[in-house]
Amino acid sequence: MKEKINHALHIFFFAAGFVILLLISSAIVIPKNNAKEAGMLEINPNGILAERNHSIDVLVLGDSEAYSSITPMQIWEQEGITSYVCATPRQKLDKSETFMHQAFENQNPKIVILETNLIYREFSTTHTLSQLLDNTFPVLVYHNRWKSLTSSDFGGRIQYTWVNDLKGYIVHKKVKSISPKDYMKTTDEAAKIPLRNKLFIEKMYKYCQDHGSQLVLVSSPSAKNWNYKKHNGIAKLAEEFGLEYLDLNLYEDDIAIDWSKDTRDQGDHINYFGAVKVSEFLGKYLKDNFHLEDHRNDPMYADWFESLERYKEKIASAK
Amino acid sequence: MKSYCSLGYLGIFLPIAVIGYAFLPKKYRWMFLLLCSYAFFWMLSKKLLIYILISTIAIHYIGIWLGFIQKERDEKLSTVERGEKKAIRLQYQKKQRLVLAAAICFHIGLLVLLKYSPFLAKNVQSLLTMLNVPLKIKIPKFALPIGLSFYTLQAVSYMIDVYRGTIKPDQNLGRLALYMCFFPSLMEGPICRYAQTANQLYSGEAVTYHNLTYGSQRILYGLFKKIVIADRLNLLIKSVFSDFIQYDGTVMLVGAVLYTCQLYMEFSGTMDVVIGSAEIFDIHLPENFQRPFFSKTISEFWQRWHITLGLWFKDYIFYPVSMSKRMKKLTMNARKKLGNHYGPLLAGSIALFCVWICNGLWHGSGWNYIFFGLYHFFLILSGSILEPTIRRITDALHIKRDSKGYHLLQIGKTTIFVIIGELFFRANGLTAGLAMFKKILTEFSLSSFVDGTLLNLGMDLYDYVVVLLAVLLVLAMSILKEKGISIRDMVASKPIYVRWAIYYSIIMLIIIFGAYGEGYAPIDPIYANF
Amino acid sequence: MMEQLIEILEDIQPDADYETCTTLIDDHILDSLSILSLVAELEDAFDVTIPTVEIIPANFNSAQAMMAMINRLLEEE
Repeated sequence: MKEKINHALHIFFFAAGFVILLLISSAIVIPKNNAKEAGMLEINPNGILAERNHSIDVLVLGDSEAYSSITPMQIWEQEGITSYVCATPRQKLDKSETFMHQAFENQNPKIVILETNLIYREFSTTHTLSQLLDNTFPVLVYHNRWKSLTSSDFGGRIQYTWVNDLKGYIVHKKVKSISPKDYMKTTDEAAKIPLRNKLFIEKMYKYCQDHGSQLVLVSSPSAKNWNYKKHNGIAKLAEEFGLEYLDLNLYEDDIAIDWSKDTRDQGDHINYFGAVKVSEFLGKYLKDNFHLEDHRNDPMYADWFESLERYKEKIASAK
Repeated sequence: MKSYCSLGYLGIFLPIAVIGYAFLPKKYRWMFLLLCSYAFFWMLSKKLLIYILISTIAIHYIGIWLGFIQKERDEKLSTVERGEKKAIRLQYQKKQRLVLAAAICFHIGLLVLLKYSPFLAKNVQSLLTMLNVPLKIKIPKFALPIGLSFYTLQAVSYMIDVYRGTIKPDQNLGRLALYMCFFPSLMEGPICRYAQTANQLYSGEAVTYHNLTYGSQRILYGLFKKIVIADRLNLLIKSVFSDFIQYDGTVMLVGAVLYTCQLYMEFSGTMDVVIGSAEIFDIHLPENFQRPFFSKTISEFWQRWHITLGLWFKDYIFYPVSMSKRMKKLTMNARKKLGNHYGPLLAGSIALFCVWICNGLWHGSGWNYIFFGLYHFFLILSGSILEPTIRRITDALHIKRDSKGYHLLQIGKTTIFVIIGELFFRANGLTAGLAMFKKILTEFSLSSFVDGTLLNLGMDLYDYVVVLLAVLLVLAMSILKEKGISIRDMVASKPIYVRWAIYYSIIMLIIIFGAYGEGYAPIDPIYANF
Repeated sequence: MMEQLIEILEDIQPDADYETCTTLIDDHILDSLSILSLVAELEDAFDVTIPTVEIIPANFNSAQAMMAMINRLLEEE
């Protein structure tokens, strides 16, 4: 018996030592700035780390649909509302949750928009466990930085200074048209949402409630990815959880997406010209439905006008 | 969970299996292992589970049937006079052979159907097109259950062993099922014999602290080989082999060498993880690797590389073929005409040819795999043919064949032959392989080593350094093991702070220098499509 | 019978002392090709069938072991 306790203690202390090593190595390899040169990964969504504390009104989470359709700078110019898009390709809900938690460390957005395309994306327990481990021990994500460590990595402070002028939006001006058939043809069927995903959304909207925020579901226009069946599935979910749901695919007159000019890949994603239309509509929607302040006269937000100038230059020179 | 070196297996599946097993009473442990094994199978192949269930039930009843025939024979033999015994033996042997042949045809037939029919169909189609026959054959596509090539060989070995009387047919379907499906060896081997593992699997020995730690250390070492070395090399291997046309002979050579390294590190590393996993349950699986690159001949290489496959071919193809009546006659006659060395070589080479066609094809259905098998057949055969000549030459030149220098020479030449073989093994088809080999001979340039070409293939200088240092570490460990030193025992004898320093070092080396995460594509295990 | 066995062995591989050596397989004095010849010749000479399972080092490491095996197989017949 004594031997068994001895063994158990060995295992426990070994594991504890391992955890300590992971934490120390994480502290060393974690990027000390959110710029690409500092070794930061996913710099587009992580640009939010450099935004002034409590300055973001709207947080957008989602996959490539989100970062292709919504351009926060346009909404700023139009309505004076600040937003940021924390979206990554093929994002899954456990990653959305991670971005949400990260954002709420320094921000308190009143609205959290969840782009609905990823609600149908399945993922495994292993994926979520892996995500959890990555969040707890960043060395698992940034271990490759051993190739580029500098002296400031050992004991240096973390200071996020890289400001993303596009605020998470990624600009594409390419045009690849499509003439969609049966786009949003009505049906009574509702697509099924995986149970795991429903539970995650429940967790997320409760988190929002606890933090004085509101979770809003939004579907970007996509002739290829979206259909009425999926709409019904989300509508059902929204009703069940008492969430606002805005399906931008149903505002063909107001938004007027021209699928011959406004898509970059035959209806999968809209391009810059489509994003302009979407963001204009979305900006108005946000202003009309939620009591969000117009910060354009607030001197604290002068930096957003500076970003706007640089944003316009970037858009002009983009392809 | 796609491989043994994944978070899913090592972080979730295996711990649950170990904990469940440890806390169950002894008599239920084998059932739990069986449950885990089927769950493992299901997670990887879903409904294809039916295939292994069918095979298991089939060999169970075939074994019992053979047992009946043998029992009948023995009863008859006990009642009969000395002189008649041989005839009766022959009669019952014929009966058994019929049953066995049918059973083997079923199993191998199923394997051929699932795995090789697309290849066969494609070739028949090409033949027909060549002969201007306007027939279109539908190329079948079957989903393969995980471990098909491995458990099929285990099934066949079980039945042949029952036929030979080496083992008694297993009346216990559950034990047989566990022998067929044990999750550590299911996906990539080692190929186990019933006599070796069935009772170990069934007896439900306890998880001891010793086995837990030793097994975990072995798993760690395997992870190191795979994740730090093999996976790091993968980016370079992928670009060189898929895009070979744009590269020169030097790159081809580097690709072949590094692929051989990747293959060894991945396969032997996975074996470490697998054997280490089984060790935790006090189950000792046979070794599959024994420092193969210390081999002095290709024959020796195949006794040290994928050992259980070589043993299977030796016991179930080489000996049965070379010891068949016709072959024995051939051997005796040939010995009279060709002498002691070349006489038996005739029957030996026919048997060897059968083995190598099977070995090549077992690895994959494609002409480059057949070529691979024949290449090694040719090397082993020429080795045997040239042996007397080489002996005479070295004697004449007073070169000592048991000197360290000569051994190193032999090891070097063997390694080169192996590397060339692996080039064809990995190439995207035989034509590509031949083209790549040709490039090595005609487009080789020393300058490519120093002008930065090698740094544009997917690995930078840091990657090369890490691989080199890690390989040196593995080499050092291999040299110790070759000398018979048990490294785990050596470490276990050191004081606790030294031991823990070593374990933590290996773990952190894997975490920091492992080729996983951003920038490294997930890799399908090389041997898992079998 | 023992003389006959030793005769056959010396015919196949002359360089060994079959009276005393007990490591014919372990020391690679008899290689795989010799075994092929040996089994064929033994079966022919002693009119016995040597099944594959008997081809193990224990049975072939010495002339004595081979003789014991042959006798056992003859007995079983």
